[in-house]
Amino acid sequence: MTKSSPKIGIYGFTGCAGDQLMILNCEDQLVDLFGAVEIRSFVMAKSDNHEGEMDVAFVEGSISTEAQLEHLKDIRKRAKVLVAIGTCACWGGPQAMKLDDGKYDERYKSVYGNAKITVSKAFEAQPVDAFVPVELKIPGCPIDKGEFLRSVSKVVAGRHPYLYPFPVCNECKWKENECILTAGKFCAGPLTKAGCGAICPSHNLPCVGCWGPTDDLNVGAEYNLLKEKGYNPEEILQKIRKFGGAGVVKLVKDLEKPKEAKK
Amino acid sequence: MKTLNIRALARVEGDGGITVTLDGKKVKSVTLDVHEGPRLIESLVKGMKPEDDLNVVPRICAICTLSHKYAAIRGLEKALGITAPEKALITRDLMMLGENVESNSLHTYMLALPDFLGYPSAIAMLNDYGDDVKRALRLKKFGNHVMALTSGRIVHGENPILGGFGKYPGKKELAEIAVRARELVPDAVRAVELFGSLEYPVYPEVETVFMSVNAPKKKFGLAGDSILISDGKEVDCEDYKKLTSERVVPHSFAKRSMYKDRTFAVGANARMINMGKRLDGQAKDLYKEHYSDRWLRNPLLNNLAQAIEMVWALEHIPEVAEQVASMDDPKTAEPTRADGAGTGAVEAPRGILYHHYEIKDGLIDKADIITPTAQNLDDIEAHMKVCAERMMADGKKDDEVLFALEMIARAYDPCISCATHLVELKRL
Repeated sequence: MTKSSPKIGIYGFTGCAGDQLMILNCEDQLVDLFGAVEIRSFVMAKSDNHEGEMDVAFVEGSISTEAQLEHLKDIRKRAKVLVAIGTCACWGGPQAMKLDDGKYDERYKSVYGNAKITVSKAFEAQPVDAFVPVELKIPGCPIDKGEFLRSVSKVVAGRHPYLYPFPVCNECKWKENECILTAGKFCAGPLTKAGCGAICPSHNLPCVGCWGPTDDLNVGAEYNLLKEKGYNPEEILQKIRKFGGAGVVKLVKDLEKPKEAKK
Repeated sequence: MKTLNIRALARVEGDGGITVTLDGKKVKSVTLDVHEGPRLIESLVKGMKPEDDLNVVPRICAICTLSHKYAAIRGLEKALGITAPEKALITRDLMMLGENVESNSLHTYMLALPDFLGYPSAIAMLNDYGDDVKRALRLKKFGNHVMALTSGRIVHGENPILGGFGKYPGKKELAEIAVRARELVPDAVRAVELFGSLEYPVYPEVETVFMSVNAPKKKFGLAGDSILISDGKEVDCEDYKKLTSERVVPHSFAKRSMYKDRTFAVGANARMINMGKRLDGQAKDLYKEHYSDRWLRNPLLNNLAQAIEMVWALEHIPEVAEQVASMDDPKTAEPTRADGAGTGAVEAPRGILYHHYEIKDGLIDKADIITPTAQNLDDIEAHMKVCAERMMADGKKDDEVLFALEMIARAYDPCISCATHLVELKRL
């Protein structure tokens, strides 16, 4: 580490800490990583943290309390570049699967009852870019080691890592897996960004969509295809929303509209 | 009235802090504050198919992801009348052993050890303790590898499913991990020597109750259908509510657990206290060498218990892997009913994890998840309070007291994301 080493911070909000854990899981590169950049703040890994200006902030997790929102804004002010890591930070994660359905208060009450709130006010989880500008999203639940390390080396050098713009189906084809969707089973592949290496279909299991929505999403086509295959429309939407969060909320609402109009 | 505060507890999973409230020299209260945001996971899975629940609930926590997966599978299989084939059960044992090595090596070396040796992080220890840090990374990498081989990837693998696995691990890979596990036993033994040589302050010592699962066949293990209590009782895991008697504290949103109005602890030390006599191999010798009645009082010894457990896990991985390799791939077992209820209890690295499900017409009607850290919260606070009182009486400086309290909280290996998957806590 030299004086000119890029300064970075690693932060976690509402989620499972899996993306920070994946950084710690880079066992073979961890020592080099700590040497190549100056890690100013990484509360999960160390206790000597310095909260000042930094070149890049990596932020995991969705935002679901007022206190978190204040902290996020503070990080944004201090960071030249802010990178959202993981599906929660990028799209809201599973806790945002019912985003904007108007029933958050009901769910909140079902868990907390009428208990009086003494701490920071909580709200429905949303992705980081719902509140502050984000330069780059590295999705994944959790992020992939290789994709993260490649991205770090590009981002700290001021370059764009250019993640895959296509769905995970491409990776699945490269592995020569049989198509699960063609076989008539629900698979979220066509809606899901590539990057994991098509792990689930390679284990004879459908993609669950944990990388979040791919670029140029066509939710309608998947919805209609699955309906033709006899799936219950409600179940299709539920499965699409499971990891889609803020990335599919509007698209799903558009699909629901004609159904509501019929009523 | 004065308060001492640590806002962001470092080297733990999740966002927590500690607040000590003092009235002159008297300690009014010590609290573990949890700032982690709420996610309402249990309310979100209501109405889902069981298979979809299995994608969501492991996301409560990355470090115990497979424990969540397995506890949910056990609960759901009971509810749906699924009898998983033998090979699936043994492969699940293997995945739990992998998670145990991964999590215990991460916690002992990278999260807890720097305090004892006076460093801010494991990476900062590289110059002086390079061999130990590298040893930790080797163990962790291997644990991760076993998790990936069985579950599909390092974190949040989807390969374990109801009734079996999407794809069973290959013979060649299983043979490789058997060899590698044997090679790594000395690394884990060194961890026991290291943690056995540390000074454990007596300040936090106070008797408590310990709970763990009762692993079948009188063996040491990480899953079981009944719960052992250190007072000699045994309770069916379906009665988990009697054991955890969750209650809402008026001044906090965290549901708390007490047993007969006493705090209790879960984790590696509880497993050693309740099942330690069942250990075999080197783990047995190391347990005999290091175990004492101090384990019943001092939560810091959980670190040593985790190190001994790593030896046990590594010694058992070869035979379990070889067993998996020797069996033909069975068909995935199917549900025999669409309505029912069931509770799964497994030992996450940080203690008992319960998943209870009620299924109606094939959909989840109710999910109840009780995490180890939620069970430990009261016990952590009880030990912290005793420790703070004694240190204050001895005239210790505020900083020293806070540091000692941090070490106690950390020793429980708390998973704050887990503890607060549905709750948020802040004391006034």
